[in-house]
Amino acid sequence: MTDSASRRDFLKGAGAAAAVSTLPLSMVKLAFADPAQDFTFAYISDSHIQHIKGNEFVRNWDRGLIRAVAETNLLRPKPDFVMFGGDLAQLGTKEELDHGAELLAKLDYKPRMVMGEHDYYLDLGEYWSKLFGDQYYSFDHKGVHFVVLNSILTFDEWTHERWPTPEQRMLEMAALDNPNGSPFMVGEKQREWLRKDLEKVDKETPLVVFSHSPIQKIYKGWNFWTDDAEEVQALLKPFDKTTVVYGHVHQIQYNQIGNIAFHAVMATAWPWPYPQSYAQADQHLPVLTVPMNRADPFFERDATGWQFIDMSTGRVAMDYNLYNNTNRRVAFNAAKGHPEDMAFQDPARRIAPQVHY
Amino acid sequence: MTGFRIGMLLTAALMLAAGAVAGDAAAPPLGLPPVPVPEDNPQTVEKIALGDKLFDDKRFSSTGEVACATCHDPKKAFTDSPLKTSEGVNKLTGTRNAPTVVNAAYMTAQFWDGRSPSLEDQALHPPVNPVEGGLADHEPILEIVRTDPEYVEAFQRVFGKSGDQITMDEVTKAIAAFERTKVSGNSPFDRYFYGGEKNALTDAQRRGFDLYVNRGRCVSCHVIEQTQAVFTDNRFHNVGVGINDIQQDVPKLADEYIEAGITGEDVDIEVLTDKRSSELGRFAVTTGFDDLGSFKTPTLRNVAVTAPYMHDGSKATLRDVLVHYNNGGVTNEGDPVNDFLSGGIRPLDLTEDEIDDLVAFMDALTSPEFADLPKSLGLEEK
Amino acid sequence: MSKKLLVVAGGIIAVAAMVTGLGVRADEFTKEDVDRYQDEFMSVVEKGRALWGSPDLGTNGVACGQCHPNAANTHPETYPKFQKQLGRVVAFREMVNWCLQNPLEGQPLGLDDPDLVAMEAYATWERRGVELAPGKH
Repeated sequence: MTDSASRRDFLKGAGAAAAVSTLPLSMVKLAFADPAQDFTFAYISDSHIQHIKGNEFVRNWDRGLIRAVAETNLLRPKPDFVMFGGDLAQLGTKEELDHGAELLAKLDYKPRMVMGEHDYYLDLGEYWSKLFGDQYYSFDHKGVHFVVLNSILTFDEWTHERWPTPEQRMLEMAALDNPNGSPFMVGEKQREWLRKDLEKVDKETPLVVFSHSPIQKIYKGWNFWTDDAEEVQALLKPFDKTTVVYGHVHQIQYNQIGNIAFHAVMATAWPWPYPQSYAQADQHLPVLTVPMNRADPFFERDATGWQFIDMSTGRVAMDYNLYNNTNRRVAFNAAKGHPEDMAFQDPARRIAPQVHY
Repeated sequence: MTGFRIGMLLTAALMLAAGAVAGDAAAPPLGLPPVPVPEDNPQTVEKIALGDKLFDDKRFSSTGEVACATCHDPKKAFTDSPLKTSEGVNKLTGTRNAPTVVNAAYMTAQFWDGRSPSLEDQALHPPVNPVEGGLADHEPILEIVRTDPEYVEAFQRVFGKSGDQITMDEVTKAIAAFERTKVSGNSPFDRYFYGGEKNALTDAQRRGFDLYVNRGRCVSCHVIEQTQAVFTDNRFHNVGVGINDIQQDVPKLADEYIEAGITGEDVDIEVLTDKRSSELGRFAVTTGFDDLGSFKTPTLRNVAVTAPYMHDGSKATLRDVLVHYNNGGVTNEGDPVNDFLSGGIRPLDLTEDEIDDLVAFMDALTSPEFADLPKSLGLEEK
Repeated sequence: MSKKLLVVAGGIIAVAAMVTGLGVRADEFTKEDVDRYQDEFMSVVEKGRALWGSPDLGTNGVACGQCHPNAANTHPETYPKFQKQLGRVVAFREMVNWCLQNPLEGQPLGLDDPDLVAMEAYATWERRGVELAPGKH
């Protein structure tokens, strides 16, 4: 340091970045000043517990989930509930789901679960359902209606007829860039269920949909994609305060389509490249998104994390807890009508690690 | 001119001449970048001499027996090796091991938990800590520097100030200027890697160097770069020392810190007097989850002669340190790893011989001026 | 008699020339050569693609493609560069070796190992068209 920095600022960790400190929770409440019932919940996702053999699992992914659980338990004020966003396992085996459940059991809360494709395609969710229950459902909490979708289904032919063994089917869906994969979808049956479920909900009620796939069409090559996105969005459209929270992409993304806000969550296991870093294909990353920091692969938790979500305004304000990186907060800006990063949305405030190429 | 003053000036001038002082005066030692010097505290020969005097002054303590040099002894590479944790007034011990002053000028934060942003600021703390200098406040120090004739003359010459104009600002600036001259490079490693001397390292040390940048995974935190090596990334990491012993207590302790919002001066006292708080590391300073159990990466220069190791002095030899890392952040292989362990720490699967080679390489980081000090390698006689 | 022999000989030589390219100059290459070389290269790219998705490169079943789908985020166009994780300027395949040893918890390959070359070929192929930027962090 070449200047004598004030000790107060220094203790807060501001240092050279003092100009772009993230706003604390209380200041956000003041800024929006909307009298909804205030609560937070935590969101852990994409742990990808991977079995090697015997009692050995890939240590790197285990540590990711362990740390997220330990930190969630330290959250103050305490969240009302915890969600797990899908892809607990890597190849959907009983060993992986059991080990993942064992690690989740250390939470001081019983998490509600979302299905991921890595959990599903070995046995079509049979063992997962034994452990965790319904694959799609809804619940209400303090005046907000929450819906959980299984949005990683695909065409019947691919699911039931194309592959000689369940293991083969799982492997084909597991590799992100596999051309033999098949696009995710919610499907007609669930859309019909959703339509009926939403019939009973008042249009003024804040609505939050938890999904593994993005309920958008971002990049088909990596299945950052929901094939019936428009149909599902149409069902959500009538609700004024609607948010979709999705996993699968292992990176910070957020978007606004019409009156629906979209927020991606981080993985605890590993980060994925942004689609624009694949030079050979066109893709559509939501232009709003301020990217996460690039990872240093030496630090196995870099560019991974978990999040807690504040519902004080009836809309999602998502705090990303990123290990050894500046935490990020993406909240709905009522004036602008879309989510934005509370520190870095202005291009002039970006920092070097946010440049991906 | 007093004989004392002539002596001090000569020493300072020698330091300048020997190229140990940075700034526009002379080049840094082989293997080091230029020493960062703040604009508001430029190096001068006389300021350095004054800082040296202040550094040695035992009167800056409640018992008149503890100076900076007590725990940062020039004859021991500016540590109090072999003490695990330092002894302040009345032999009171704290919880932390005294880091060396040598090359501290390259750090962007001081103390193991980085709670001080500069060398200047750091010097304020120990005199008023109950287990270090034991003073209630800085007034006794100011009283001395404002009235002792040698100090009066020195402060007038260096800062053009006298009487009440002399504040802790001037005192700490002088001490920091002195500390900035304590840089050392030109070790066998430096001569080998930057000086092109192919024979400066032994075979074991060369093998150790290869492990250091490859399978040992040392280089990411204890940084070596293409043209210089400061051996620290100036970041904070939980490497599983100390915190492993309080794993069950972490949730409750963390709660206390978050709820109480302990900040500033209280942290100084808490972390040095309560061992469990000490193990929280930088978390006690920031209450950020990232910082649970995190401590600053120290430099490895002269590490062979600055035992014992880690923030709590719990590792007696370098070999003990490497075994801890080889086990993936636990002292005994198979112990449970703490939940907040840095993502950079993992089991290394090094053989016993490879560990020995790495230890040998650590030995090659000792600068010639400290080469005669006793070493704490932990290698068996072969 | 000799004229007939000449014609026959000429015919044989002409056929031979077509078959063996004898009619082409020694230091010249043909379009067929180029196409064939490209196919040879692509065969190694395909080998690299297979290795990229293989769980057997390390000891823990992790594959390169798990973090680097389509070899994205490997940036072969920026090498050689200063690599923080190795403390020095390295070539692309040295970083591949770093990944083999670290996230994949395996052994490094020799720098001339055909498998390593294949992975480099695959990653570079997936990044074709991007401007060279050696040293870029």
